[in-house]
Amino acid sequence: MSRHRQKHNMACFQRESPALKEILLRLYRAEKPLEFDHHLYEFGSVEYHVQASASIPDNTYLSIATPLLYQDFILSSGLPRYTLEMVKGISPDVIEIIEPPKEGYKLTLRLKYSRIPRNKGGVKMIASISSVQGVILSSQLKDMLMNVNSLEVSQGMYRPVKLIYHPREPFFVIKQPEKITAVFPMRFKEDTDVIIATAFFQELMDIGSSKAFVKAPHCIWSPIPPAELRGEPIEDLSTNGGFVSFDITGRHVEGKRLDKTVWNLLNFYAFVKYHVKSTRGFIQRRMRTRLESLVEVLYNAGIKDEHHIKKKNRGPKGVRKLLNFSKSKLLKKRYNFINKIKRIRSRIKIHWFSRFRKRWLNFSRFSSVTRYEKLN
Amino acid sequence: MLRLYLTCIRNTLEAAMCLQNFPCQEVERHNKPEVELKTSPELLLNSVVICRNEAEKCLIETSINSLRISLKVKQADELENILTKKFLRFLSMRAEAFQVLRRKPVQGYDISFLITNYHCEEMQKQRLIDFIVQFMEDIDKEISELKLSVNTRGRLVATEFLKQFI
Repeated sequence: MSRHRQKHNMACFQRESPALKEILLRLYRAEKPLEFDHHLYEFGSVEYHVQASASIPDNTYLSIATPLLYQDFILSSGLPRYTLEMVKGISPDVIEIIEPPKEGYKLTLRLKYSRIPRNKGGVKMIASISSVQGVILSSQLKDMLMNVNSLEVSQGMYRPVKLIYHPREPFFVIKQPEKITAVFPMRFKEDTDVIIATAFFQELMDIGSSKAFVKAPHCIWSPIPPAELRGEPIEDLSTNGGFVSFDITGRHVEGKRLDKTVWNLLNFYAFVKYHVKSTRGFIQRRMRTRLESLVEVLYNAGIKDEHHIKKKNRGPKGVRKLLNFSKSKLLKKRYNFINKIKRIRSRIKIHWFSRFRKRWLNFSRFSSVTRYEKLN
Repeated sequence: MLRLYLTCIRNTLEAAMCLQNFPCQEVERHNKPEVELKTSPELLLNSVVICRNEAEKCLIETSINSLRISLKVKQADELENILTKKFLRFLSMRAEAFQVLRRKPVQGYDISFLITNYHCEEMQKQRLIDFIVQFMEDIDKEISELKLSVNTRGRLVATEFLKQFI
Protein backbone atom coordinates (compact mmCIF):
# COMPACT_ATOMS: atom_id res chain seq x y z
CA MET A 1 0.00 0.00 0.00
CA SER A 2 1.32 3.40 -0.89
CA ARG A 3 1.06 6.28 1.52
CA HIS A 4 0.68 9.85 0.39
CA ARG A 5 0.51 13.12 2.22
CA GLN A 6 -2.49 15.34 1.66
CA LYS A 7 -1.16 18.76 0.83
CA HIS A 8 -4.12 21.08 0.66
CA ASN A 9 -7.31 19.04 0.46
CA MET A 10 -8.32 15.71 1.81
CA ALA A 11 -7.68 12.87 -0.62
CA CYS A 12 -11.36 11.91 -0.60
CA PHE A 13 -12.32 15.37 -1.91
CA GLN A 14 -9.89 15.15 -4.77
CA ARG A 15 -11.14 13.36 -7.82
CA GLU A 16 -7.75 11.94 -8.67
CA SER A 17 -6.06 9.32 -6.56
CA PRO A 18 -2.84 10.88 -5.24
CA ALA A 19 -1.03 7.55 -5.11
CA LEU A 20 -1.96 6.58 -8.65
CA LYS A 21 -1.10 10.04 -9.91
CA GLU A 22 2.37 9.84 -8.41
CA ILE A 23 3.01 6.46 -9.99
CA LEU A 24 1.79 7.53 -13.42
CA LEU A 25 3.82 10.75 -13.21
CA ARG A 26 6.93 8.73 -12.32
CA LEU A 27 6.45 6.68 -15.46
CA TYR A 28 5.72 9.82 -17.47
CA ARG A 29 8.88 11.59 -16.29
CA ALA A 30 11.19 8.59 -16.52
CA GLU A 31 14.11 9.25 -18.87
CA LYS A 32 14.14 5.71 -20.15
CA PRO A 33 11.39 3.05 -20.22
CA LEU A 34 10.92 1.30 -16.88
CA GLU A 35 9.98 -2.25 -15.98
CA PHE A 36 7.13 -1.67 -13.56
CA ASP A 37 4.55 -3.85 -11.77
CA HIS A 38 2.82 -2.22 -8.85
CA HIS A 39 -0.32 -3.01 -6.85
CA LEU A 40 -1.99 -0.13 -5.08
CA TYR A 41 -4.82 -0.25 -2.50
CA GLU A 42 -7.02 2.62 -1.38
CA PHE A 43 -9.86 3.07 1.08
CA GLY A 44 -9.75 -0.64 1.87
CA SER A 45 -11.70 -1.70 -1.21
CA VAL A 46 -10.18 -0.06 -4.30
CA GLU A 47 -7.29 -1.77 -6.05
CA TYR A 48 -5.12 -0.54 -8.87
CA HIS A 49 -2.59 -2.57 -10.83
CA VAL A 50 -0.07 -0.65 -12.92
CA GLN A 51 2.16 -2.56 -15.35
CA ALA A 52 4.77 -1.19 -17.67
CA SER A 53 7.33 -3.01 -19.76
CA ALA A 54 10.75 -1.67 -20.74
CA SER A 55 10.64 -3.64 -24.00
CA ILE A 56 7.28 -2.12 -25.08
CA PRO A 57 7.53 1.42 -23.69
CA ASP A 58 4.32 2.79 -25.15
CA ASN A 59 2.09 0.25 -23.45
CA THR A 60 1.30 0.89 -19.84
CA TYR A 61 -1.60 -1.10 -18.42
CA LEU A 62 -3.83 0.19 -15.63
CA SER A 63 -6.38 -2.17 -14.09
CA ILE A 64 -8.97 -1.06 -11.56
CA ALA A 65 -11.05 -3.07 -9.12
CA THR A 66 -13.62 -1.03 -7.25
CA PRO A 67 -16.94 -1.83 -5.60
CA LEU A 68 -19.67 -0.25 -7.64
CA LEU A 69 -22.04 2.33 -6.29
CA TYR A 70 -25.17 0.35 -7.07
CA GLN A 71 -24.54 -3.32 -6.31
CA ASP A 72 -27.78 -4.59 -7.88
CA PHE A 73 -26.93 -3.04 -11.20
CA ILE A 74 -23.83 -5.04 -12.00
CA LEU A 75 -24.05 -6.49 -15.47
CA SER A 76 -22.47 -9.81 -16.15
CA SER A 77 -20.69 -8.38 -19.15
CA GLY A 78 -18.82 -5.76 -17.09
CA LEU A 79 -19.29 -2.07 -16.59
CA PRO A 80 -22.27 -0.30 -18.20
CA ARG A 81 -21.77 1.29 -21.61
CA TYR A 82 -22.37 4.76 -20.20
CA THR A 83 -19.53 4.27 -17.71
CA LEU A 84 -17.14 3.02 -20.39
CA GLU A 85 -17.96 6.05 -22.53
CA MET A 86 -17.23 8.40 -19.67
CA VAL A 87 -13.91 6.70 -18.93
CA LYS A 88 -12.89 6.87 -22.58
CA GLY A 89 -13.93 10.51 -22.57
CA ILE A 90 -11.24 11.36 -20.00
CA SER A 91 -8.62 11.31 -22.73
CA PRO A 92 -9.73 9.58 -25.97
CA ASP A 93 -6.27 9.72 -27.63
CA VAL A 94 -4.40 8.23 -24.71
CA ILE A 95 -6.82 5.73 -23.19
CA GLU A 96 -7.80 2.49 -24.81
CA ILE A 97 -10.20 0.15 -23.04
CA ILE A 98 -9.09 -3.47 -23.09
CA GLU A 99 -11.86 -6.04 -23.40
CA PRO A 100 -12.18 -8.24 -21.46
CA PRO A 101 -10.53 -6.68 -18.38
CA LYS A 102 -7.85 -8.59 -16.48
CA GLU A 103 -9.05 -11.26 -14.15
CA GLY A 104 -10.15 -9.88 -10.79
CA TYR A 105 -10.53 -6.34 -12.10
CA LYS A 106 -13.51 -4.36 -13.35
CA LEU A 107 -11.64 -2.39 -15.97
CA THR A 108 -8.29 -2.53 -17.76
CA LEU A 109 -6.91 0.44 -19.68
CA ARG A 110 -3.94 0.75 -21.99
CA LEU A 111 -2.25 4.12 -21.66
CA LYS A 112 -0.26 5.38 -24.65
CA TYR A 113 2.39 7.55 -23.09
CA SER A 114 3.77 8.63 -26.45
CA ARG A 115 0.56 10.58 -27.08
CA ILE A 116 0.76 12.52 -23.82
CA PRO A 117 2.28 15.98 -24.51
CA ARG A 118 5.50 16.88 -22.73
CA ASN A 119 4.28 20.02 -21.02
CA LYS A 120 1.88 21.16 -18.29
CA GLY A 121 -0.98 19.77 -20.32
CA GLY A 122 0.57 16.34 -20.01
CA VAL A 123 0.59 16.56 -16.24
CA LYS A 124 -3.05 17.62 -16.29
CA MET A 125 -3.86 14.64 -18.48
CA ILE A 126 -2.14 12.28 -16.03
CA ALA A 127 -4.20 13.84 -13.21
CA SER A 128 -7.41 13.26 -15.17
CA ILE A 129 -6.46 9.63 -15.79
CA SER A 130 -5.79 9.22 -12.05
CA SER A 131 -9.41 10.18 -11.38
CA VAL A 132 -10.72 7.09 -13.21
CA GLN A 133 -12.22 5.56 -10.05
CA GLY A 134 -14.18 8.73 -9.31
CA VAL A 135 -15.37 8.80 -12.93
CA ILE A 136 -16.61 5.19 -12.73
CA LEU A 137 -18.59 5.78 -9.54
CA SER A 138 -19.96 9.20 -10.43
CA SER A 139 -21.05 7.92 -13.86
CA GLN A 140 -23.37 5.46 -12.14
CA LEU A 141 -25.02 8.18 -10.07
CA LYS A 142 -25.20 10.49 -13.09
CA ASP A 143 -26.95 7.79 -15.04
CA MET A 144 -29.42 7.31 -12.21
CA LEU A 145 -30.10 11.01 -11.78
CA MET A 146 -30.69 11.47 -15.48
CA ASN A 147 -32.52 8.27 -16.17
CA VAL A 148 -34.19 6.39 -13.32
CA ASN A 149 -36.79 4.46 -15.31
CA SER A 150 -35.08 1.23 -14.41
CA LEU A 151 -36.07 1.61 -10.78
CA GLU A 152 -38.87 -0.60 -9.52
CA VAL A 153 -42.24 0.79 -8.58
CA SER A 154 -43.89 -0.69 -5.57
CA GLN A 155 -47.33 0.31 -4.29
CA GLY A 156 -47.27 3.54 -6.21
CA MET A 157 -43.89 4.54 -4.82
CA TYR A 158 -40.48 4.16 -6.29
CA ARG A 159 -38.28 1.81 -4.34
CA PRO A 160 -35.26 3.44 -2.68
CA VAL A 161 -31.95 2.54 -4.27
CA LYS A 162 -29.08 1.88 -1.89
CA LEU A 163 -25.73 3.27 -3.03
CA ILE A 164 -22.35 2.67 -1.39
CA TYR A 165 -19.54 5.11 -2.05
CA HIS A 166 -17.56 4.56 1.13
CA PRO A 167 -17.71 1.20 2.90
CA ARG A 168 -20.24 1.09 5.80
CA GLU A 169 -21.71 4.43 4.69
CA PRO A 170 -24.55 3.71 2.32
CA PHE A 171 -27.01 6.35 1.21
CA PHE A 172 -30.33 6.14 -0.61
CA VAL A 173 -31.70 7.71 -3.76
CA ILE A 174 -35.48 7.82 -4.19
CA LYS A 175 -37.28 8.90 -7.32
CA GLN A 176 -40.29 11.07 -6.68
CA PRO A 177 -42.54 13.17 -8.89
CA GLU A 178 -40.43 16.05 -10.31
CA LYS A 179 -37.48 15.39 -8.02
CA ILE A 180 -35.02 12.85 -6.75
CA THR A 181 -34.35 12.65 -3.01
CA ALA A 182 -30.94 11.63 -1.69
CA VAL A 183 -31.13 10.45 1.94
CA PHE A 184 -28.00 10.11 4.06
CA PRO A 185 -28.24 8.12 7.32
CA MET A 186 -25.60 9.69 9.54
CA ARG A 187 -23.57 7.65 12.02
CA PHE A 188 -20.78 8.84 14.28
CA LYS A 189 -18.49 7.09 16.71
CA GLU A 190 -18.72 9.61 19.56
CA ASP A 191 -21.51 11.62 21.18
CA THR A 192 -19.50 14.83 20.75
CA ASP A 193 -19.39 14.27 17.00
CA VAL A 194 -23.15 13.70 16.96
CA ILE A 195 -23.84 17.00 18.69
CA ILE A 196 -21.42 19.01 16.51
CA ALA A 197 -22.87 17.42 13.38
CA THR A 198 -26.44 18.03 14.51
CA ALA A 199 -25.64 21.72 15.03
CA PHE A 200 -24.19 21.75 11.49
CA PHE A 201 -27.27 20.08 10.00
CA GLN A 202 -29.53 22.61 11.65
CA GLU A 203 -27.47 25.43 10.18
CA LEU A 204 -27.64 23.66 6.81
CA MET A 205 -31.44 23.60 7.04
CA ASP A 206 -31.58 27.25 8.07
CA ILE A 207 -29.30 28.40 5.28
CA GLY A 208 -31.04 26.18 2.72
CA SER A 209 -34.41 27.68 3.51
CA SER A 210 -33.16 31.28 3.21
CA LYS A 211 -33.87 33.46 0.17
CA ALA A 212 -30.25 33.51 -1.00
CA PHE A 213 -30.21 29.74 -1.47
CA VAL A 214 -33.58 29.17 -3.11
CA LYS A 215 -31.81 27.57 -6.06
CA ALA A 216 -29.86 25.11 -3.90
CA PRO A 217 -31.36 21.67 -3.19
CA HIS A 218 -33.86 21.74 -0.36
CA CYS A 219 -32.29 20.17 2.71
CA ILE A 220 -34.07 18.48 5.64
CA TRP A 221 -32.62 16.87 8.75
CA SER A 222 -34.68 14.58 10.93
CA PRO A 223 -33.77 12.30 13.84
CA ILE A 224 -36.08 9.56 12.55
CA PRO A 225 -36.03 7.81 9.15
CA PRO A 226 -38.11 9.54 6.48
CA ALA A 227 -41.28 7.82 5.29
CA GLU A 228 -39.67 6.90 1.95
CA LEU A 229 -37.27 4.53 3.70
CA ARG A 230 -39.91 2.42 5.39
CA GLY A 231 -39.30 -1.22 4.62
CA GLU A 232 -35.54 -0.94 4.41
CA PRO A 233 -33.41 -3.25 6.59
CA ILE A 234 -33.10 -2.12 10.20
CA GLU A 235 -29.31 -2.10 10.11
CA ASP A 236 -29.43 0.57 7.41
CA LEU A 237 -31.87 2.70 9.40
CA SER A 238 -30.24 2.59 12.83
CA THR A 239 -28.25 5.76 13.25
CA ASN A 240 -27.22 8.20 15.98
CA GLY A 241 -26.94 11.30 13.79
CA GLY A 242 -30.32 11.30 12.15
CA PHE A 243 -31.08 11.50 8.42
CA VAL A 244 -30.17 14.29 6.01
CA SER A 245 -32.21 14.56 2.79
CA PHE A 246 -31.52 16.61 -0.32
CA ASP A 247 -34.16 17.19 -2.98
CA ILE A 248 -32.48 17.23 -6.38
CA THR A 249 -34.58 18.80 -9.12
CA GLY A 250 -34.02 19.03 -12.87
CA ARG A 251 -32.24 22.35 -12.37
CA HIS A 252 -29.41 20.71 -10.44
CA VAL A 253 -28.62 18.14 -13.12
CA GLU A 254 -28.57 20.43 -16.16
CA GLY A 255 -25.37 20.56 -18.17
CA LYS A 256 -22.20 21.08 -16.13
CA ARG A 257 -24.13 21.17 -12.83
CA LEU A 258 -24.71 17.43 -13.06
CA ASP A 259 -21.06 16.64 -12.44
CA LYS A 260 -20.84 19.03 -9.47
CA THR A 261 -24.09 17.78 -7.94
CA VAL A 262 -22.99 14.17 -8.26
CA TRP A 263 -19.56 14.84 -6.75
CA ASN A 264 -21.05 16.81 -3.84
CA LEU A 265 -23.54 14.06 -3.05
CA LEU A 266 -20.89 11.34 -3.22
CA ASN A 267 -18.62 13.28 -0.85
CA PHE A 268 -21.24 14.49 1.60
CA TYR A 269 -20.21 12.02 4.31
CA ALA A 270 -16.56 12.93 3.97
CA PHE A 271 -17.46 16.62 4.05
CA VAL A 272 -19.41 16.29 7.29
CA LYS A 273 -16.73 14.19 8.95
CA TYR A 274 -14.06 16.68 7.92
CA HIS A 275 -16.11 19.54 9.35
CA VAL A 276 -16.60 17.69 12.66
CA LYS A 277 -12.88 16.91 12.87
CA SER A 278 -11.92 20.51 12.11
CA THR A 279 -14.38 21.82 14.70
CA ARG A 280 -12.92 19.55 17.35
CA GLY A 281 -9.45 20.79 16.48
CA PHE A 282 -10.68 24.38 16.66
CA ILE A 283 -12.24 23.79 20.10
CA GLN A 284 -9.00 22.23 21.32
CA ARG A 285 -6.87 25.12 20.07
CA ARG A 286 -9.22 27.64 21.61
CA MET A 287 -9.18 25.86 24.96
CA ARG A 288 -5.39 25.81 24.92
CA THR A 289 -5.24 29.57 24.28
CA ARG A 290 -7.78 30.22 27.00
CA LEU A 291 -5.85 28.09 29.46
CA GLU A 292 -2.77 30.24 28.92
CA SER A 293 -4.73 33.43 29.56
CA LEU A 294 -6.42 32.03 32.67
CA VAL A 295 -3.11 30.91 34.13
CA GLU A 296 -1.54 34.23 33.24
CA VAL A 297 -4.26 35.98 35.25
CA LEU A 298 -3.35 33.78 38.18
CA TYR A 299 0.34 34.52 37.88
CA ASN A 300 0.07 38.18 37.04
CA ALA A 301 -2.31 38.74 39.92
CA GLY A 302 0.84 38.30 41.90
CA ILE A 303 -0.30 35.59 44.18
CA LYS A 304 2.55 33.11 43.82
CA ASP A 305 5.80 32.91 45.76
CA GLU A 306 8.77 32.22 43.53
CA HIS A 307 10.36 29.70 45.88
CA HIS A 308 7.38 27.39 45.74
CA ILE A 309 7.21 27.22 42.00
CA LYS A 310 9.00 24.23 40.63
CA LYS A 311 9.87 24.15 37.00
CA LYS A 312 7.33 21.41 36.21
CA ASN A 313 4.55 23.40 37.85
CA ARG A 314 5.16 26.59 36.01
CA GLY A 315 2.30 25.95 33.68
CA PRO A 316 2.19 26.45 29.92
CA LYS A 317 5.21 27.69 28.02
CA GLY A 318 3.59 31.05 27.36
CA VAL A 319 3.63 32.03 31.04
CA ARG A 320 7.15 33.09 31.96
CA LYS A 321 7.31 36.37 33.83
CA LEU A 322 6.21 36.47 37.46
CA LEU A 323 5.77 39.49 39.62
CA ASN A 324 6.93 38.81 43.13
CA PHE A 325 4.60 40.55 45.47
CA SER A 326 3.86 37.81 47.97
CA LYS A 327 2.85 38.78 51.46
CA SER A 328 6.13 37.80 53.13
CA LYS A 329 8.12 39.71 50.56
CA LEU A 330 6.01 42.83 51.11
CA LEU A 331 6.55 42.73 54.84
CA LYS A 332 10.25 42.19 54.36
CA LYS A 333 10.51 45.16 52.04
CA ARG A 334 8.60 47.37 54.40
CA TYR A 335 10.90 46.35 57.27
CA ASN A 336 14.00 47.09 55.22
CA PHE A 337 12.65 50.44 54.19
CA ILE A 338 11.89 51.43 57.76
CA ASN A 339 15.37 50.42 58.86
CA LYS A 340 16.86 52.43 56.08
CA ILE A 341 14.95 55.51 57.16
CA LYS A 342 16.08 54.99 60.73
CA ARG A 343 19.68 54.70 59.66
CA ILE A 344 19.46 57.92 57.69
CA ARG A 345 17.91 59.77 60.59
CA SER A 346 20.19 58.46 63.36
CA ARG A 347 23.27 60.35 64.32
CA ILE A 348 26.68 59.35 63.12
CA LYS A 349 28.53 57.79 66.00
CA ILE A 350 32.24 58.62 66.27
CA HIS A 351 33.70 57.74 69.64
CA TRP A 352 36.07 60.64 70.26
CA PHE A 353 33.64 63.03 68.65
CA SER A 354 31.02 62.77 71.36
CA ARG A 355 32.77 65.23 73.60
CA PHE A 356 33.20 67.62 70.73
CA ARG A 357 29.55 67.22 69.72
CA LYS A 358 28.23 67.92 73.16
CA ARG A 359 30.27 71.04 73.44
CA TRP A 360 30.24 72.56 70.03
CA LEU A 361 27.63 70.97 67.85
CA ASN A 362 24.00 71.01 68.44
CA PHE A 363 21.92 69.06 65.89
CA SER A 364 18.49 70.48 65.47
CA ARG A 365 15.51 68.31 66.00
CA PHE A 366 14.01 66.71 62.90
CA SER A 367 11.14 68.82 61.73
CA SER A 368 8.25 67.46 59.70
CA VAL A 369 7.96 68.69 56.13
CA THR A 370 4.29 69.20 56.67
CA ARG A 371 4.82 71.76 59.43
CA TYR A 372 5.90 75.31 58.77
CA GLU A 373 8.25 77.20 61.09
CA LYS A 374 8.29 80.90 60.80
CA LEU A 375 11.79 82.37 60.83
CA ASN A 376 12.26 85.60 62.66
CA MET B 1 -28.44 38.65 38.68
CA LEU B 2 -24.96 37.34 37.99
CA ARG B 3 -23.46 40.18 40.00
CA LEU B 4 -25.58 39.30 43.02
CA TYR B 5 -24.65 35.65 42.72
CA LEU B 6 -20.94 36.43 42.51
CA THR B 7 -21.12 38.92 45.35
CA CYS B 8 -22.79 36.34 47.55
CA ILE B 9 -20.06 33.82 46.72
CA ARG B 10 -17.37 36.38 47.36
CA ASN B 11 -18.76 37.29 50.78
CA THR B 12 -19.11 33.64 51.73
CA LEU B 13 -15.53 32.92 50.68
CA GLU B 14 -14.23 35.86 52.67
CA ALA B 15 -15.90 34.47 55.74
CA ALA B 16 -14.94 30.86 55.04
CA MET B 17 -11.31 31.40 54.10
CA CYS B 18 -9.96 31.52 57.62
CA LEU B 19 -7.68 28.55 57.52
CA GLN B 20 -4.92 27.48 59.82
CA ASN B 21 -2.47 24.66 59.97
CA PHE B 22 -3.89 21.60 61.70
CA PRO B 23 -2.01 18.27 61.76
CA CYS B 24 -3.99 15.11 61.25
CA GLN B 25 -5.56 13.83 64.45
CA GLU B 26 -5.49 10.21 63.39
CA VAL B 27 -2.10 9.71 61.83
CA GLU B 28 1.09 11.05 63.37
CA ARG B 29 3.15 13.54 61.42
CA HIS B 30 0.54 13.76 58.71
CA ASN B 31 -1.14 16.90 57.59
CA LYS B 32 -4.19 16.40 55.40
CA PRO B 33 -6.96 18.66 54.15
CA GLU B 34 -9.76 17.82 56.55
CA VAL B 35 -12.48 18.86 54.11
CA GLU B 36 -11.46 15.95 51.86
CA LEU B 37 -11.28 13.33 54.58
CA LYS B 38 -14.35 14.35 56.60
CA THR B 39 -13.37 11.93 59.37
CA SER B 40 -13.58 14.43 62.22
CA PRO B 41 -16.92 16.26 62.32
CA GLU B 42 -15.64 18.72 64.89
CA LEU B 43 -13.18 20.08 62.32
CA LEU B 44 -15.81 20.69 59.68
CA LEU B 45 -18.01 23.71 59.31
CA ASN B 46 -21.47 23.68 57.78
CA SER B 47 -21.33 23.56 54.01
CA VAL B 48 -23.08 26.31 52.08
CA VAL B 49 -24.87 25.93 48.74
CA ILE B 50 -25.47 29.12 46.81
CA CYS B 51 -27.91 28.63 43.93
CA ARG B 52 -28.37 31.09 41.12
CA ASN B 53 -31.02 28.87 39.55
CA GLU B 54 -31.68 25.14 39.17
CA ALA B 55 -28.78 24.72 36.75
CA GLU B 56 -26.15 26.93 38.40
CA LYS B 57 -24.94 26.54 41.95
CA CYS B 58 -21.87 26.73 44.11
CA LEU B 59 -21.02 24.46 47.04
CA ILE B 60 -18.58 25.78 49.63
CA GLU B 61 -17.33 23.27 52.17
CA THR B 62 -15.01 24.48 54.88
CA SER B 63 -12.87 22.83 57.48
CA ILE B 64 -10.20 24.03 59.85
CA ASN B 65 -7.34 23.77 57.39
CA SER B 66 -8.95 23.57 53.97
CA LEU B 67 -11.76 24.84 51.84
CA ARG B 68 -13.43 23.19 48.87
CA ILE B 69 -15.40 25.15 46.28
CA SER B 70 -17.45 23.23 43.72
CA LEU B 71 -19.18 24.88 40.81
CA LYS B 72 -22.01 23.77 38.57
CA VAL B 73 -22.00 25.75 35.33
CA LYS B 74 -25.16 26.46 33.36
CA GLN B 75 -25.71 24.29 30.30
CA ALA B 76 -28.69 25.36 28.26
CA ASP B 77 -28.48 22.73 25.52
CA GLU B 78 -26.51 19.70 24.40
CA LEU B 79 -23.85 21.75 22.64
CA GLU B 80 -23.16 23.83 25.76
CA ASN B 81 -23.16 20.60 27.71
CA ILE B 82 -20.37 19.03 25.69
CA LEU B 83 -18.41 22.26 25.44
CA THR B 84 -18.54 22.74 29.22
CA LYS B 85 -17.60 19.14 29.84
CA LYS B 86 -14.67 19.26 27.42
CA PHE B 87 -13.36 22.62 28.61
CA LEU B 88 -13.56 21.92 32.32
CA ARG B 89 -12.07 18.47 31.87
CA PHE B 90 -9.27 20.08 29.86
CA LEU B 91 -8.57 22.48 32.73
CA SER B 92 -8.85 19.79 35.40
CA MET B 93 -6.29 17.63 33.61
CA ARG B 94 -3.90 20.57 33.81
CA ALA B 95 -4.66 21.31 37.46
CA GLU B 96 -0.98 21.65 38.35
CA ALA B 97 -0.89 24.91 36.41
CA PHE B 98 -3.58 26.34 38.70
CA GLN B 99 -2.34 24.90 42.01
CA VAL B 100 -5.75 25.36 43.67
CA LEU B 101 -7.73 23.35 41.11
CA ARG B 102 -8.89 19.82 41.91
CA ARG B 103 -8.22 17.16 39.25
CA LYS B 104 -11.65 15.63 39.68
CA PRO B 105 -14.79 17.62 40.42
CA VAL B 106 -17.04 16.70 43.31
CA GLN B 107 -19.95 14.51 42.25
CA GLY B 108 -22.82 16.54 40.94
CA TYR B 109 -20.61 19.49 40.01
CA ASP B 110 -18.54 20.48 36.99
CA ILE B 111 -15.35 21.77 38.60
CA SER B 112 -13.86 21.96 42.08
CA PHE B 113 -11.16 23.97 43.83
CA LEU B 114 -9.28 22.87 46.92
CA ILE B 115 -7.65 25.63 48.94
CA THR B 116 -5.51 24.70 51.91
CA ASN B 117 -3.84 26.75 54.62
CA TYR B 118 -0.59 26.48 52.69
CA HIS B 119 -2.14 28.24 49.75
CA CYS B 120 -3.32 31.00 52.07
CA GLU B 121 0.17 31.40 53.43
CA GLU B 122 1.75 31.62 50.00
CA MET B 123 -0.92 33.70 48.38
CA GLN B 124 -3.00 36.66 49.34
CA LYS B 125 -6.52 35.77 50.46
CA GLN B 126 -8.21 38.62 48.59
CA ARG B 127 -6.50 37.78 45.35
CA LEU B 128 -7.40 34.13 45.68
CA ILE B 129 -11.03 35.07 46.06
CA ASP B 130 -10.73 37.49 43.13
CA PHE B 131 -9.27 34.68 41.05
CA ILE B 132 -12.13 32.29 41.88
CA VAL B 133 -14.80 34.88 41.09
CA GLN B 134 -13.01 35.97 37.91
CA PHE B 135 -12.67 32.31 36.91
CA MET B 136 -16.43 31.83 37.21
CA GLU B 137 -17.10 34.84 35.01
CA ASP B 138 -14.51 33.77 32.45
CA ILE B 139 -15.87 30.24 32.21
CA ASP B 140 -19.38 31.47 31.48
CA LYS B 141 -18.07 33.89 28.91
CA GLU B 142 -15.79 31.33 27.28
CA ILE B 143 -18.52 28.70 26.94
CA SER B 144 -20.84 31.23 25.33
CA GLU B 145 -18.12 32.35 22.92
CA LEU B 146 -17.22 28.78 22.05
CA LYS B 147 -20.83 27.94 21.29
CA LEU B 148 -21.15 31.00 19.11
CA SER B 149 -17.93 30.14 17.27
CA VAL B 150 -19.03 26.57 16.63
CA ASN B 151 -22.38 27.71 15.27
CA THR B 152 -20.74 30.38 13.14
CA ARG B 153 -18.31 27.84 11.70
CA GLY B 154 -21.20 25.50 10.94
CA ARG B 155 -23.05 28.28 9.18
CA LEU B 156 -20.05 29.23 7.05
CA VAL B 157 -19.37 25.63 6.09
CA ALA B 158 -23.04 25.05 5.23
CA THR B 159 -23.02 28.17 3.07
CA GLU B 160 -19.95 27.02 1.18
CA PHE B 161 -21.44 23.56 0.67
CA LEU B 162 -24.71 24.83 -0.72
CA LYS B 163 -22.99 27.41 -2.92
CA GLN B 164 -21.53 24.57 -4.96
CA PHE B 165 -25.00 23.63 -6.17
CA ILE B 166 -25.88 27.10 -7.40
